Amino acid sequence: MNVLLMKLWRTIWNTKGQFLAVAAVVMVGISVFISMTTSYYNLNRSQDLFYRENNFADYYFHVVRAPQEITKQIESVPGVIKATGRIQMDIPVIKEGNNRATARVTSYPLPMDREVNRLELLTGRMFEKYPQGGGVEVLVDPQYAKANQLNVNSIVTVVAGGKRVPLTVVGTGTSPEFIYPMKDAASMMPEPETFGIVMIPQNQAQQIQNLPGQINQVVVKLAPGVDAEETAAGIRTILEPYGNLASYPRKQQLSHAVLQGELDGLEVQAQFMPAIFLCVAAAIQFIILGRMVKTQRLQIGIMKALGYHNRQIMWHYVSYALAVAVAGAALGLVFGLMLASVFSKAYAMFFNLPGAIGGFNFRAIFSGVALSLMVGLLAGLAASRGVVRINPAESMRPEPPRSARSIFLDRWGWLWRKLGSEWKMTLRTVGRNRARFGFTVVGVVFAVGMLVVSFFAKDSIDYMLKTHFFREQHYDFLLRFSGPVRESELLNISRIDGVIKVEPIFELPVKMHFNGRSEDDLLLGLPGGVTLKTLVNDKGRPVRLPEDGILISQRSASKLGVRIGDRFEVETLLGVGPSHRGTLKVAGVNRQLVGSSSYVNLSQVNGLLQEGQLVSGAMLKVDQGKADQVERGLNEMTGIASVSSREKELGGFTKNMGSMIYAVTIMIMFSVILGFAIVYNSSLIGFAERKRELASLRVIGYTNREVSGLLLREILLQAACGVIFGLPFGRWMAESYVNAVSTELFTMPVVVYPQTYLLSAIGGIAFMMAAHLFVVKGVKKLDLVEVLKNRD
Amino acid sequence: MAKDVLLRLDHVTKTYEMGEVRVEALQDTSLQIYPGELLAILGPSGSGKSTMLNIIGGIDLPTSGKVVFGEEDLSQVGDSRLTRYRRNEVGFVFQFYNLIPDLTARENVELAGRLVEHPLPADEVLKEVGLEDRQDHFPSQLSGGEQQRVSIARATAKNPRLLLCDEPTGALDFQTGKLILGLLSRINRGRGSAVIIVTHNTAIGAMAHRVVRMRSGRIVDITENPSPVSPERIEW
Repeated sequence: MNVLLMKLWRTIWNTKGQFLAVAAVVMVGISVFISMTTSYYNLNRSQDLFYRENNFADYYFHVVRAPQEITKQIESVPGVIKATGRIQMDIPVIKEGNNRATARVTSYPLPMDREVNRLELLTGRMFEKYPQGGGVEVLVDPQYAKANQLNVNSIVTVVAGGKRVPLTVVGTGTSPEFIYPMKDAASMMPEPETFGIVMIPQNQAQQIQNLPGQINQVVVKLAPGVDAEETAAGIRTILEPYGNLASYPRKQQLSHAVLQGELDGLEVQAQFMPAIFLCVAAAIQFIILGRMVKTQRLQIGIMKALGYHNRQIMWHYVSYALAVAVAGAALGLVFGLMLASVFSKAYAMFFNLPGAIGGFNFRAIFSGVALSLMVGLLAGLAASRGVVRINPAESMRPEPPRSARSIFLDRWGWLWRKLGSEWKMTLRTVGRNRARFGFTVVGVVFAVGMLVVSFFAKDSIDYMLKTHFFREQHYDFLLRFSGPVRESELLNISRIDGVIKVEPIFELPVKMHFNGRSEDDLLLGLPGGVTLKTLVNDKGRPVRLPEDGILISQRSASKLGVRIGDRFEVETLLGVGPSHRGTLKVAGVNRQLVGSSSYVNLSQVNGLLQEGQLVSGAMLKVDQGKADQVERGLNEMTGIASVSSREKELGGFTKNMGSMIYAVTIMIMFSVILGFAIVYNSSLIGFAERKRELASLRVIGYTNREVSGLLLREILLQAACGVIFGLPFGRWMAESYVNAVSTELFTMPVVVYPQTYLLSAIGGIAFMMAAHLFVVKGVKKLDLVEVLKNRD
Repeated sequence: MAKDVLLRLDHVTKTYEMGEVRVEALQDTSLQIYPGELLAILGPSGSGKSTMLNIIGGIDLPTSGKVVFGEEDLSQVGDSRLTRYRRNEVGFVFQFYNLIPDLTARENVELAGRLVEHPLPADEVLKEVGLEDRQDHFPSQLSGGEQQRVSIARATAKNPRLLLCDEPTGALDFQTGKLILGLLSRINRGRGSAVIIVTHNTAIGAMAHRVVRMRSGRIVDITENPSPVSPERIEW
């Protein structure tokens, strides 16, 4: 067996180009697998742990106002383990220079020990119920603290109960519901400078908001296995008299939804991408080994004649595949772990998950290596089956020529006659070696497809940017008032120097009822002749604002089960004033790229509220040169809860794109490795199988150039087929990817710009030409005497 | 009779280096080849006969010495000139046929024919070798003898001045072998191509005009054969 080991080593050395190329493919597959699986496991575990340790709520209930004792009553509902009452409100923060921000003030009853949705202290110390020096102690979320340079003992001034209230920051904290602190579904990214979580003792919250002994939210923990909807219905009945505003299960909680969406996407990717690479690696190995067996027929025959068993000989070839697997796995492990730590750091930036997100995951590593070995083993076994069939005596006779069949083109007589012998030869070779031709084409298809997928992410995001920021929004600032105001008040704003145009909006939270189903939604009321906002659907086409009725979001429509023409009941859920009921007719259904909003005419809102001329916010167009001035002027006005500027939103967004580009670059690198490995191997295999033929041609009198030309024709055919099929395949992969990772909140359009297709096509052809260069070299080096002398 | 010389080997040697071993395949060999003659080169394996044929045919270069064709010394020219020499002047017939498996018999012949300005028509040469009915068959559908005949047709389609055959009957049975030899003889007489047959089968020497015997890389004997025998009458 020692001699066979020597042979194995020499074979690997003699075919080191091929060996490395295939090992590279395995390496990429394994490293992607390990890095993504590790990230997935780690993120999942962190999430699990964090949720459990902090008693993450199963159900949320928002009410107008309720006595805090209501929780006892709720706990008596069967299925409820614990209910915690709290206050949560978005209130304005006054920053230096009169800049505005919004604080989501969330209260925590002390002591917190068994409450639901406990908070976790990150830095500093926990707040006190009654601080010694008086005043109010709070914790803030770490991103907000960093963005606003808050330290221990910094003061955050908020507007609560109509007054300015200073809050003393004593540390930072987080909670499972704030892992991804986003204001609402409409914002695409967190904006830590202007939106933060403020955690406050319950008694202090009640005091500064003037809600003695009261709460406006109940978060509930349910017993495992209980029917959540049934229990929730029971709780809603109890909360009925206190103004049910909204209720939803954990899976609709914003932060959780985003995190879970990310996890789900990661899970899919961790299987999707490595699968591609490993399949390709398996196929290449299968072909290489199969060919090796055929070429070494004579040697195998001799070994059998000497007395070696089939399995000993087979093992020799299988071990080549295993060597590739081991090399690939070893390299894949190193790169995979490196990548894993890169991913972990990226996640730590985005998500507020305390606890170890990094670290090795042995299960991932083990699976990765095992996968690699299994793939190698299977490929090896399948390919070396041919060993069994070799008869020692026969193997020492020359192999009969490959059988040839007429290919379909033969029957197109007129076309066939037009082609010269070279094209005939090329087409016949292709027709009779469909497997080999097909394999290279598949390889190019994958490589081209992956190039398309790599670029498409950038294209889609670019498109979304253009649509959302430029086609939809024409305003520079979006104001939200603390409470609904008369439209006439907007005059004050329009008088600010630099303001060119002001248009009112009304964001009205509602509960919709239809056929026994209910759905919460946010109606966006816009004036009839609105110019500062264009409604656009997911295909980028403008949609008209209906004069009468509602342009309902696709999401709500499907949840509610309504179609165009249906009329459903609407209940308003404004925090102030009584709730009103009315009906709305569905004038249209709209699918959007980001989030989902339903639109109505402003007059409809006022109709529902049975009050005229009310607005909850405004869109502003300003003179660019005076933008800062305008912003300062706005910040000085009371009654404005938040000012968001399109500039800043865009800036934040483009910053986040940086990490996306990084990921895209990695994917492109992988595609290039994959593409080249396949094409290189396939060309080499093809060339080696035809050395004899090619040498014969040289002997007859064909020049090197003419012979290379023949091979070039084949390569061009492969490249052409590969590109023709690869481009739509890439698009299909992009679509599948989007379908797999789309969530309710966020979906990507599948946009592929023409230049992406062009670049991918060029890429595919470039691979083939590069491989061709190797082949041309091989033709020049053909030793005619040697090749023609050998018998097989 | 003053004879023209078609090709001349002048003190040709060929040495291979295989790792640390030096193999002297040809040692100081000189030979003249005349137009239209049928030459047999006989010798056991390792005698250097195939090496000499390869050098004559321009698929190998000597280590030293001259290979003069017409006025030109082929040992000093570049690959492209050598390829042109092969293209226009040489037809090769190998022991194991070396046909292109993806092409039919006819197409294999055409493949060679299209390289020269005035090739012999494919069906004509195929008829000459007796395969006009099998033109559209692929090599895998032909017997060994038929494949060899296609190989000969391919070599003659270019109407070369030199037809070089390396063990043409080595893989064939007795009857078929004789058929092939008959074909080669007819081509030699009918077309006037110089035919050189390299073989270890000494009986074949009887059909040649001249017999060159080789051993251990040297020519040991050159015999003229005034009355060559018809191949049918040869036995081995």
